Amino acid sequence: MRTKLLLLLSSVVFTFAISNAQTIPIKGTVTNSKGVAIPAATIKIKSSKIGTQTDENGNFTLSVDPGKTLVISAVGYEPIELKAQDNLQAVLKEKDNNLAEVVVTANAIKREQRSLGYAAPTVKAAELTVGQSSSALTSLTGRVAGINVTSNTGAPGGSTRVVLRGGSSVTGNNQALIVVDGVPYNNSDNIGGGSLTAVNFGNRGNDINPDDVASITVLAGPAATALYGSRASNGALIITTKSGTNNKKAEITVSSTNTFSSILKLPDLQNQYGQGYYTGVKSDGTLAYNTQDWGDNFSWGAPFTGQVLPWGQQIDGVQLKKPYSADANNIRHFFSTGFATDNNIAVTSGNDKASYYLGLNALNSNGIYPTSVDGYNKYSVRFNGKANLSNDFYTSVNFNYVKINSGNVAGGQAGGSVLASLYQTPRDIPIDKMGDLNNKYYGYGYTDASGGYHSDKYGFYNEFYPSPYFLLANYRNYDDVDRVTGGLNLGYKPVPWLDVLERVTTDFSSDRRRLQTPKYTYSPADPGTAGNPPAYPASALVTSNGGYEEDTYTIGEINHDLMVTAKHDLGTDFSGSLMVGNNVRLDNATTTTISTNQSSGLIAPGWYNFGNSNGPVAATNNRSVQRRVSVYAGLDLAYRNIAYLDATARNDWSSTLPVNSNSFFYPSVSGAFIFTELIKGSNFNRILNYGKVRASWAQVGNDAGPYLLGTTYSQAAIADGYSGGVTVFPFSGVPGFMINDRLGDPLIKPEITTSREVGTELGFLDNRLSVIANYYSNRSKNQIISSSVAPSSGYLFSTVNAGVVENKGVELTLRGTPIKTHNFSLELFATYTKNDNKVLSLPNHAQIVIGGFNGMAIVAQEGLPYGEFYAVTNQTENGHTVVSAADGQPVPTTTAVYLGSYNPKYQASFGGTLTYKS
Amino acid sequence: MTTRINIIKRIALFVCPAVLLLSSGCKKFLDVNQDPNNLVSAQPAQLLPTIEASIGVALGDDYYPYGNIWSQYFTQSAVASQYKTIDQYLQVNADFNYAWMHLYQNALINDQLMITNSRGNTALVQYLAIGYVLKAYGLQLATDAFGDIPMNQALQGTANKNPAYDPQATVYDTIFSLLEQGKALMNNSDPHNPGATDLIFQGNMNNWIAFANTLELRAYLRLTQVDAAKAKAGVQALYASNPSFLTTNAQISYTATGGNQNPFYIKEVALGQTVNLAASGTVVNAFVRNNDPRQFAVFDTIPGTVDTVIYLPQGAYASFTNKVCSTPAALVAGNPQDPNSALAPLFLISAAESYFLQAEAVARGWATGSASSLFTQGIQASFGADGIPAAAAAYLNYAPDAQFPAAPADEIKAIITQKYYAMCGSQGFEAWTEWRRTGYPSFFVPSAANGGRTYPLRFLYPQSELTGNLNYPGTVAETTPVWWDK
Repeated sequence: MRTKLLLLLSSVVFTFAISNAQTIPIKGTVTNSKGVAIPAATIKIKSSKIGTQTDENGNFTLSVDPGKTLVISAVGYEPIELKAQDNLQAVLKEKDNNLAEVVVTANAIKREQRSLGYAAPTVKAAELTVGQSSSALTSLTGRVAGINVTSNTGAPGGSTRVVLRGGSSVTGNNQALIVVDGVPYNNSDNIGGGSLTAVNFGNRGNDINPDDVASITVLAGPAATALYGSRASNGALIITTKSGTNNKKAEITVSSTNTFSSILKLPDLQNQYGQGYYTGVKSDGTLAYNTQDWGDNFSWGAPFTGQVLPWGQQIDGVQLKKPYSADANNIRHFFSTGFATDNNIAVTSGNDKASYYLGLNALNSNGIYPTSVDGYNKYSVRFNGKANLSNDFYTSVNFNYVKINSGNVAGGQAGGSVLASLYQTPRDIPIDKMGDLNNKYYGYGYTDASGGYHSDKYGFYNEFYPSPYFLLANYRNYDDVDRVTGGLNLGYKPVPWLDVLERVTTDFSSDRRRLQTPKYTYSPADPGTAGNPPAYPASALVTSNGGYEEDTYTIGEINHDLMVTAKHDLGTDFSGSLMVGNNVRLDNATTTTISTNQSSGLIAPGWYNFGNSNGPVAATNNRSVQRRVSVYAGLDLAYRNIAYLDATARNDWSSTLPVNSNSFFYPSVSGAFIFTELIKGSNFNRILNYGKVRASWAQVGNDAGPYLLGTTYSQAAIADGYSGGVTVFPFSGVPGFMINDRLGDPLIKPEITTSREVGTELGFLDNRLSVIANYYSNRSKNQIISSSVAPSSGYLFSTVNAGVVENKGVELTLRGTPIKTHNFSLELFATYTKNDNKVLSLPNHAQIVIGGFNGMAIVAQEGLPYGEFYAVTNQTENGHTVVSAADGQPVPTTTAVYLGSYNPKYQASFGGTLTYKS
Repeated sequence: MTTRINIIKRIALFVCPAVLLLSSGCKKFLDVNQDPNNLVSAQPAQLLPTIEASIGVALGDDYYPYGNIWSQYFTQSAVASQYKTIDQYLQVNADFNYAWMHLYQNALINDQLMITNSRGNTALVQYLAIGYVLKAYGLQLATDAFGDIPMNQALQGTANKNPAYDPQATVYDTIFSLLEQGKALMNNSDPHNPGATDLIFQGNMNNWIAFANTLELRAYLRLTQVDAAKAKAGVQALYASNPSFLTTNAQISYTATGGNQNPFYIKEVALGQTVNLAASGTVVNAFVRNNDPRQFAVFDTIPGTVDTVIYLPQGAYASFTNKVCSTPAALVAGNPQDPNSALAPLFLISAAESYFLQAEAVARGWATGSASSLFTQGIQASFGADGIPAAAAAYLNYAPDAQFPAAPADEIKAIITQKYYAMCGSQGFEAWTEWRRTGYPSFFVPSAANGGRTYPLRFLYPQSELTGNLNYPGTVAETTPVWWDK
């Protein structure tokens, strides 16, 4: 299910500068970097129409409050902003006629886009908040080629996955790493419950407030992220948040955004057949249906006739009547309009030594389910500050605290799933109008005609599944999250060519969930004598043993980086820098789940406490610790503004690999050549103002998860997929252990992904049209996967190094500004991505089962794309389906066959931005 | 130059911790990969209960609906739909994933580890012995359902992730040899007794010897149709050892404690306590013909009546002739709305079955004794298990099917038919298996829901093997008999 943005109710931004000075005339000069005066340069007071121009000597006079911001621009130069002051000396930099955007790459290193030998498309704050999504990640959708953003639910806070360039890992998490101001973020999915009872608790990437974001740079290839190590092997999103500016008075920005959402897409539903079921073929060859089973929950009944017929339970001798016809919107109209209000206050200020940004955010929303059980409230504070301690030392700190409390509606197909209840509603049942649980035909517990209350009877039509309104009213999944992320940077710059930076970052979150399943037993209010067979027999209970569960996830990560960067210019043409660094990373995670007895649930209804467990409480706990030590180096060389060469190398030592082979090394090299520099000033250069070609080769290594080396035992619990455990231990006081279902590998090796990329970036007509094109080829080797093995081996999974998977593809981004006037501009963008992946080899495995449910498996098989469907299908002969002579049913194949890949053939997007008087 | 030196000193302050980590401290710093959440090894005392309970789940939960519906004790009730496909004979591979998993990945692998960990240790001889016998039991459970199964290459973990399938004849040979190995080690005077860790016999090794003998008898008799000479030789050799046979039920007892209840009941509760099963006309009509009081023990009567079991003809859930049907009783775990279903025991081999197996051996002339009195003992044991021992005497007098036939040719039919009554609801899989072997009882009807399909004669291999085992032999149709079913 997805939601769409219905309407932007209001989006208000106030900016006011605090000032009380008098307007006085100031004088100033505008020159270029060589000290030459610039005539006819424009000096304007920012956000006003007041301004002037320089004379032929570059001098100007303007009446303005000191401290106001002036925007100084001239044709052929980059505009700059300065604080108004007398004797203002403005130095403008020559425009490079190119995409001279600064991008922030790995380890928060600022680089000019032109110097990068790899693709690094950047999306700016303005674009991210256009459309006002409550998630910074979802707003990336369609804006960058090669990015695949998927949301599990449309609700604020639902999981958002960001995958760049297809899946390179056979089984693992293919998500991109998120780095905010140098702090790596954990964005793993948080799904509570099993496959039948899934509750999506969202993932932590959504904790980033889009209003705090200054820009997001997408680093798709591993070359870009060699310095982040293995976790960036699936690419990285480098997010920079807003910061204060030196010598700027306090500025307060208040913004408020309100959004409505409603259901966008539902499964296609038929509107020809109604409640009941098909019973067979009559002797005359026509089909027979049972239409008198009013308690049935599916639409396998007779075709609609429009005839007025009874439906639902007979209560107090009376059955409701309605036309036997489709209620086409019964499911759509069940949903209500979601509402979210997002309020932000941002304060920035700075003097000559220090500056800061303080952002406060509150997001309050109520999703599209009726009632407010799907509320999501997020409060966050971000503080970014920096200060120069002395001439040599500088420091910066960023800190973000997020508090979330939310209610989540269960999915899956088990008892509490609202969607499972809703989607199985027969097409003729007006479920959207049955929300009044006090109505005796819709509710649970009813008052009869003589005033007697029956607490144990239900009047709702469905005898197999409770009303979705009843589920919403009684099942609860609460989630409370506290998260602190932050970093401390301490820099030492004794001489201009040397920079020593020490950085400590942390990402710590505590996620506490409470899952309440009500205990109830209702039997039908109907005496159960009407119909053939009678609907609502006394045994048609709607019942649940109830349950209560508390889960606590505590995840913490600490990173320590020390980087020493030296820069040196060799003459006027060559420059270079060398960086060496060290990283120490500690990951700690603790999970505790406690629940009331998983088969017998609660004793007394309504009391959600472990003291109310009907039988032994079930508890599990899990701790994991992972540590890594790395050293890395990077060398950048530049020849004028024309050619660039980067090389990186990294060595990691990981605690999760076998002690004697826990080290792995991976280098990268990339180059860029700006060929338009050679034709500078030519006519052709006016058309093609910027042109760059680049190439890169990189390797990325990856270690294993913790504790994958051995095969271990745990407390015995024998599960069947229906209940929490059919037989659990201790059994009548006798303890039992069992071997775990996963085989370890004591000789596991690290994964290595090798990638090659070539690309070009072209800017036409002063960048009114720009093109970015890439071709890449990645090979992942020795992937560490948990492959399914034949259960007759005694195990279900096996940790192995397996396979070489190749991803090859092209990415194309086009941006154009067909209309650009003083007040009005239209920008269009389009992206196209085609990724082919292929499993090149799987030593010791003909194939690996990487997923699937029930009859369908998703496998990796040598020579086929990764993610091939593999299942039993119907036998065919000469293109015709073979059917059984006995019953006319299709005959299945005796072994599984390959049925195609789930990978999209290509992905494309198209969008635009219309701006009127920014 | 002094500036430079100062700079280097200051840098050294930063770098030092990193260098320290990388040298001697580094190894220690990274040595944190010992799993604190799991155990490296387990003792047989902790594995034995798991193995036994896993067999309980496979037989008492996964096999339960197939066995009881295909032996025509139960049928899909008209008010639900959970087991329709069983009456329709429309299985798919994935239906058997859990049965296979509970056998191989829960019961047999832990049994194999118990055997490996016990070998050569004098304190663990009885565990080793029980390990051999339970392996034989588990293999028979698997092969009788699935036919050819992985055995020689199975349960080896990393050493073989794609075990080849062994012919059923080979599996049976292994079963016989495992039973002999196990029996040879069993000794009730061994001071190292498994005691309470043995959920079936609480460490009574004499019962285990009787269990092994009875299982061996059952296994040899299974071969009567495919290799009568081998069956005969095996039975005769067994009797030559002066064997004891089971006189009590080999069972796992369940309690009302959550997670320790009868596994089928737990599943039905998790499925919303829907009444999915109803009494089948096939067995009820036979009970009625014999005025058999056991029908009221294994089926619930309709409220308001005391002596009527209302049945649905096999597979007739869609034809509505019976408005309200009797459900299987709590005694056989079949009524999810009766909490006493939690207490239904799981019979690995019942005492009644033991007597009927012995009766057959005698009736075939392969053992000495009185087939007739063993037949009677079987009926008495069955009435005892159903909680009505006193009613047996009258039944033995009046019931036509309780009269031991005079003609030897009819004896097998009478024995298997009585065994069928005894197993109603409690040993459905074994009853269906014996029907496959002998064709008795002779009154099975085609399921009304079969849509023209033929009676199932085996389980399908699971989806997990189909997609996960390179040596998967191909799905064998449900209607293809297993090797011993001639």
